[in-house]
Amino acid sequence: MPPETRILGLGWHLPEETVSNDDLAGALGLPAGEIASRTGVTVRHRAPDGEGPSDLARRAALAALDAAGCAVSDMGLVVFATATPDVTFPGAACFLQEKLHAGTLGAIDVRAQSAGFLCALDLAMQLGATPSPSGGLDPRYDRVLVAAGEVLTSGLEYAPRGADMTPRFGDGAAAAVVGRGSAGARVGAVRWYTEGDLADRFWCEYPASRQAPVRMTVRDFEEGRHYPRADLGALAEIAVDRLSSVAQEVLEIAGWEPGSLDAAVIDYVEPEVAVRAAHAIGVPDGRASIPTGDFGHVMAAGLPIGLARVLPGLAPGARVLLAAAGPGFTWGAATLEV
Amino acid sequence: MGRAVPDRVVTNEDLGVLMDTSDEWIQQRTGIRQRRHVGADCGATDLGRIASEEALRSAGLGIEAIDLVIFATLSPDIDWPASAALLASKLGARRVPAFDVKNQCSGFLYSLACADAAIRSGRARHVLVCGGEIHSSGLDLTTRGREVGVIFGDGAGAVVLGPSEDPGRGIFSVHLHADGSNAEKLWLEAAASRRRPRLLPEDLGGDDPKAFPRMRGKYVFKHAVTRMPEVIREALDHNGFTLGDLDVLVPHQANLRINQMVAASMELDESKVVNNIDRYGNTTAASIPLALHEALADGRVAPGKLVCLAAFGAGFTWAAALLRW
Repeated sequence: MPPETRILGLGWHLPEETVSNDDLAGALGLPAGEIASRTGVTVRHRAPDGEGPSDLARRAALAALDAAGCAVSDMGLVVFATATPDVTFPGAACFLQEKLHAGTLGAIDVRAQSAGFLCALDLAMQLGATPSPSGGLDPRYDRVLVAAGEVLTSGLEYAPRGADMTPRFGDGAAAAVVGRGSAGARVGAVRWYTEGDLADRFWCEYPASRQAPVRMTVRDFEEGRHYPRADLGALAEIAVDRLSSVAQEVLEIAGWEPGSLDAAVIDYVEPEVAVRAAHAIGVPDGRASIPTGDFGHVMAAGLPIGLARVLPGLAPGARVLLAAAGPGFTWGAATLEV
Repeated sequence: MGRAVPDRVVTNEDLGVLMDTSDEWIQQRTGIRQRRHVGADCGATDLGRIASEEALRSAGLGIEAIDLVIFATLSPDIDWPASAALLASKLGARRVPAFDVKNQCSGFLYSLACADAAIRSGRARHVLVCGGEIHSSGLDLTTRGREVGVIFGDGAGAVVLGPSEDPGRGIFSVHLHADGSNAEKLWLEAAASRRRPRLLPEDLGGDDPKAFPRMRGKYVFKHAVTRMPEVIREALDHNGFTLGDLDVLVPHQANLRINQMVAASMELDESKVVNNIDRYGNTTAASIPLALHEALADGRVAPGKLVCLAAFGAGFTWAAALLRW
């Protein structure tokens, strides 16, 4: 039997500045109502110039540590999931590690797009379940800080060419202290997958190291190849299919019927597709929470921010399903018992 | 295990045509004689694919046996999604967890720690770990960028990991460290999500091109020669071994002078230290599997040998893994 893993504390942060569809309408050359009907997003948050995902994640991490009653010195590792690191290298985990005054604590940057939080949570669970050479579990990983954060809005095109993609994304971060304990939501199974054949259906291509002799030219820049692009129409059915199959997989491992769920957080860039996935999974009416509709798609951070917002309203013993899908194509799910 | 490097050899003399440098200057400071650069469009996962296919063949496994793909890189093929997705796809995997680790020179060892945890915890049976880099498309190969430009090379190395029936063999432990207060001592700033907008045309050229890596070489050197012995000792102590027990040290290939100083300060015979930086330069996440592959081929690493893998680099991050082959 693997040891129990719990979320001992959870924190989240959305930047103060909000950007409405009215705010975007002028630059994108599209009426606010049309932005809303096309994307399903009414508002998103924007980080100030100079703040990267590690700045947002620092606030979330301090809240998570506080909630767990832990200090950063109790952590065995920082795991940071992001697709939009503060700088190109080193990874954002190093910046977060420094902002938490973590000394020489190890810090790993993982990239799994919208499943980034699930990937990081999975890793924290595995580290916590690792046997030590001297017997028992490796005590180094009793507590792991799992963070997810994105600043997507600094990489979007605020011009008519960006009208389809720009309104869909927002900035934010969340963090969880993951480990063994008697309090906190118990993590059941985590499963996630990638299907790289679909990578170019939803991507940000440049800078691209695969381009010789240089990763990016002024011409690539002018063509806007450093902005996200997607064929969301072609991905909608795939997203519903993958989200419902992976949700079914983790529900079966937990031995839960979909009808017994008290809450489900379903994160996908198109809120309407996430709603369809919730129906396909069989989430009871009124129990699905779709983060994108409230603050845009925040890639790795959308799912844990969504969780942090529903968790306080749930009673002990409540059953929660988490599911997310996005670029890669990557998708995953997890079960939690409050 | 598997490896791949581009065919095109770039010697110090070749670089001397592009910038004000010399073979003597480069060799004296770094021990590098040549490195490989891709000649045409080629991604880190294109090299990674060749290395991974060799690793799968030598493990006698097909891609369908792999439960997790980890790709360590600081030079992903594209901005996002993760290059691990592209690598898995090129290897023929249709539905596998695949993620990138961006931990610079320690990326391979951080990835090894993830793979080790996945296998020991029972989450995965076989894990593919690949480190791959295409540096050449992101270097300033003019006199302005020479301090960094001469160091880096392209390459990839891969390992397939699985459970060991013999508790006396395999990976004993991996030790991971970071110190983000030195993040800007060796870094590539733009594209930078923390700046609005994250990428500007002037980042690509001009007096201060932020789209090329920058390094404070002496400062990095000083920390490397302190942290590497520290973490090697940590790995040995953790498992009840002493330096005398160690058969082979496979260090990250950042600079031959760093590895020589580490060996000297630990009183470790240089014959126990694997170096191949003279031929490949610094290939960051690929350097340890490239060197390990070579040591395995020439018999320096063989069944029963106690092997330490150690790295230090940008982040700063540093790490060591202790294993019995």
